[in-house]
Amino acid sequence: MAVIEEPRSYFHPLYDVMLSTPGLSVGVAPLDRLLTWGLKNALWVFPMATSCCGIELMASAAARVDLDRMGTIMRASPRQSDVMVVAGTITVKMAPRVRRLWDQMPEPKWCIAMGSCAISGDFYRNLYPVVPGIDTFIPVDVYVPGCPPNPEALMHGLMRLQEKIGLQREGKLVPSEPRPDFDAMVRPPALSRIGDAARAADLSDRQEQAALTMCPDAAPGVVEDEEKGFAQPATQATPPLNTELVELLRDRFGVTEFPLNAPPVVSADKHLELAATLQKMGYRQFLFVAASHRPAKEGSEDLCEVAYGLRTVGAGTKEAIWQVRVPTNQTVPSLVPLFAGADWQEREQYDLVGVKFAGHPDLRRIMMSDDWVGHPLRRDYPADKECAPWR
Amino acid sequence: MIFAASLAAAVVIVVLSATALALWYERKLAARMQTRIGPQFVGPIGLFQPVADLLKLVQKEEIVPMGADRVLFALAPPLTVIFALAAAAFVPLWPGVAVVRSDVGVLLVIGFGGLAMVPVWMAGWASFNKYALLGAMRAVAQSISYGVPLVLAAMVPVILAGTMDLDGITQFQATHHWFGLWPIIPGLPAFILFLLAMLAESNRIPFDIPEAESELVAGVTTEYTGMQFGFVYLAEYVHTVVGAAIGSVMFLGGWDGPFAPGLHWLLLKTLCLFTFIYWIRWTLVRLRADQLMTLCWKWLVPAGLGLVFLSAAWNQTGWSR
Amino acid sequence: MEVTTPVRTLPYRKLELYEPEGDMLTLQLGPQHPSTHGVLRIKLHLDGEKIIKAVPYPGYLHRGVEKLCEQLTYVQMIPIVDKDDYIAPMHNEQALVMAFEKLLKIEVPRRGQWLRSLLSELQRVASHIFWLGTMSLDLGGALGGGSTNFIYCLRERELILDLFEELTGSRFHYNTHCIGGNRHDIPAGWAAKVHDAVNLIRARLPEYEAMSCNHRLFIERMRGVGVLTGALALELGITGPNLRASGVDHDLRRDAPYDAYREIPVNVQTAKEGDCLARTHVRLAEMRESLRLIDLLIDGMPTGPINSSRPAKQANQIKIPSGQAYASLESPRGELGTFVVAGNGEANTSPYRLKIRPPSLHALAALPYLLVGHNVSDAVAILGSLDPIMGEVDR
Ligand code: SF4
Repeated sequence: MAVIEEPRSYFHPLYDVMLSTPGLSVGVAPLDRLLTWGLKNALWVFPMATSCCGIELMASAAARVDLDRMGTIMRASPRQSDVMVVAGTITVKMAPRVRRLWDQMPEPKWCIAMGSCAISGDFYRNLYPVVPGIDTFIPVDVYVPGCPPNPEALMHGLMRLQEKIGLQREGKLVPSEPRPDFDAMVRPPALSRIGDAARAADLSDRQEQAALTMCPDAAPGVVEDEEKGFAQPATQATPPLNTELVELLRDRFGVTEFPLNAPPVVSADKHLELAATLQKMGYRQFLFVAASHRPAKEGSEDLCEVAYGLRTVGAGTKEAIWQVRVPTNQTVPSLVPLFAGADWQEREQYDLVGVKFAGHPDLRRIMMSDDWVGHPLRRDYPADKECAPWR
Repeated sequence: MIFAASLAAAVVIVVLSATALALWYERKLAARMQTRIGPQFVGPIGLFQPVADLLKLVQKEEIVPMGADRVLFALAPPLTVIFALAAAAFVPLWPGVAVVRSDVGVLLVIGFGGLAMVPVWMAGWASFNKYALLGAMRAVAQSISYGVPLVLAAMVPVILAGTMDLDGITQFQATHHWFGLWPIIPGLPAFILFLLAMLAESNRIPFDIPEAESELVAGVTTEYTGMQFGFVYLAEYVHTVVGAAIGSVMFLGGWDGPFAPGLHWLLLKTLCLFTFIYWIRWTLVRLRADQLMTLCWKWLVPAGLGLVFLSAAWNQTGWSR
Repeated sequence: MEVTTPVRTLPYRKLELYEPEGDMLTLQLGPQHPSTHGVLRIKLHLDGEKIIKAVPYPGYLHRGVEKLCEQLTYVQMIPIVDKDDYIAPMHNEQALVMAFEKLLKIEVPRRGQWLRSLLSELQRVASHIFWLGTMSLDLGGALGGGSTNFIYCLRERELILDLFEELTGSRFHYNTHCIGGNRHDIPAGWAAKVHDAVNLIRARLPEYEAMSCNHRLFIERMRGVGVLTGALALELGITGPNLRASGVDHDLRRDAPYDAYREIPVNVQTAKEGDCLARTHVRLAEMRESLRLIDLLIDGMPTGPINSSRPAKQANQIKIPSGQAYASLESPRGELGTFVVAGNGEANTSPYRLKIRPPSLHALAALPYLLVGHNVSDAVAILGSLDPIMGEVDR
């Protein structure tokens, strides 16, 4: 819910003196006009730029739009700025900082929400880490919609803010601007979307058929199942397995199964040895760690699959990818002793999926704040889990 | 007395309005150098932009951060302006006229320049902010170091002219054709040295590490709001304007000029120097703190000493008399 | 085999041992700071101005993209990943669709491949130009020479954004790649505009060089600062210009060629020193190389379809029942990869797990190693020279 914004008015000791002195009170109106003019034409911006919209904010200060034309410059310190332009997604971790910076700004101050992320959270709005609109914790004066809004749009927003300041100072009641109602602005699709409750069960099939009949010769890339092959003639051979890795695994590590389209599975106790061997063989570049969570089903327990990737350097580079499968409550040996890059990667997987890495020197959360409960990328963690106090 | 007082008032007003104009001029200049337009909407060609800025700053709430030293915090910004303005009093406006004529004008001017560091340190210390503290630390280190080459550079005209009176130095230049035939050897390098040291003293790029916004947010001014910040902002420009004026008095012949010597020549020379300083500002990137110190102690100070010796030797030949 | 694992302590752990008690100033750089390129917090322990320990805290922009991708269908995901690396969205899209194409075993037609490479090179130029601008901003400050350089750089970037806008209708966040090809074909007269823009940028490059890597002050600030050795870079998984500046000759465009790079050889630019200056040199040289490639690509653009099939319009049209694949490409920041685990539930229209391998995260992981021993001004320069994009680091 939006914060109720109080109509701001202007207080200054000088005004009190002037108003209480009989002769001087007539001077208040022109003085007020002068001061309003000053206020309107020197809006210094505090760029609360967190992501993509921040780039457009920068671009609007550059040569093409040049906010300096209307006297707007960027100040790095919140103490010296009048308008906070929140440009970008604000996450739950960031929101308290934004609020604090807002509190540090001296009155009178205004806030512009630039971009759909700042306005409503954009398509991240229902996700666990994102604040659904900054007006849930600071008052917003002008909304500049877009993803991202063009620099011109931001300038327009600033001009609207100038108008608003003028009206406010004249004592007119300026109703606080409502958040743009995207649901009303965007025409709902004629067909219900996937996941909608109202979606007819056979609609998906009908859509597919329609897509096929629209363009019968060039069928879309639908794979029904692997045996039947592919709708599109497979001009590309099946992704070549890394034969070096396959031989190594078969001969030295006793791996027998090599699925065609998935990395081979190595047992957890052999995993560190494999990595060391590969490193000696020239796989010196650390690629990635990707853990995925397989919740318990009948026949299998709660599992975590951790895929590791390494790469050789230089011409004809090859990647070696393998995975380790462990029950969720057990540990995977950490690769940090071999690859320093595994440090942050494993921390991330620990944070998001909750895999524990044995021998990691510094297993802390990295993406979420330290007091976060749960591991958001687990399958049983709802994507739209509420997080206080922004929802 | 009354003349001096009214002159002082006039100088203050002129310097302040020149500063306001300089604010606009600098923003326009910067914009032009960056292929932008700069202030345009506020008044004709944006001329009233500084007025709007100041009017706005007056209206802002003034915040004293929690934990700050209230007295020092409040005192620092006005002091910066006062110290910056004080040096203007010694600038000879036209032959024989300055607000304060002193026999040791050079010394006083440099002294006030050095004093300007005190409020900066006060501000940095009182703000209770780490960025401000770091900025103040840098500022003090820089000011102390660069005071040395500044004095050495100022010694050159003093030795050559044989006087510490600013007007006397200008007189000397007027009669001896400063950049004419002869004293160009100690003169021109000394001017460059003076310019560099002055840039450093007034914290201009490439020596603006005390308020390096990319590192220290806004340096010592980080916590200042409203008119408190306005003072610091103003002082910056006053400092540059007065510095440019003193530079043109000491090295470029002040009020001296071909047709009618007088104030207009001083203003013109100041403007040129000012433009040059801002040209540098909007072109160069800044140096690092340790590089600044290296530059100062390894290059500028020895060079300054050499120049002083050279000008003393020059004086001994008796040509300057 | 007996595995002897070397005993390794992380740089900032090691320093904890001789932390002089209470004698240090801790400075929190960020999360909102003019030079952290977004929202990154670095906790610096300072002895005077010298950094003796640096601990970065990313995560302030973690938007849960990977979780979101698990909810969406394969077709819907493309505009979402645009927002990861917001300086080079083209590469994001392409890295994503490449992984899907690998699973579906779809081959993009030749014109589509060339178009992708063309867009990718244009985007690389735009990204490197933007980097040069922000780098100078870090060195010279928003109120000095740095901002002049920055604005010049942005001016040239606008030229490329205009081209993209004409092609896709959007300045960034294009949503132009789709599974099996591209959505937007080259409009009439576009090629000439590309040539114009490329020539203009090429003509102005010496200006940038004069203002950056040929400039005395710039060199003084950058030389010998933040030296990253090749071995450490490989271990950390640092890729792209940062790796090449450390003397490792590795570029996916040449070493594991995809798209039009199979036909057009790329001259890989390297430098030996591994310091900030070397990284600048490599990026500027890459910019020149990209301009050369753009000319070749636009001149040799083959005719034919840009899409292997009709672009998927229906959200549920693409189904991948099973399989795991990793596909990667060379983005301006290094190897941008997508690891996708397919097969989600009944419908199979969305992935089970999608992991994006962000080059910036690996580059940032070098910070604790690089910052120690330098002072605060250098910290800003080093951070800038690594070219991290926080949207990609945190996703
Ligand atoms: S509104 Fe769009 S462009 Fe702006 S921050 Fe959000 S995702 Fe990025």
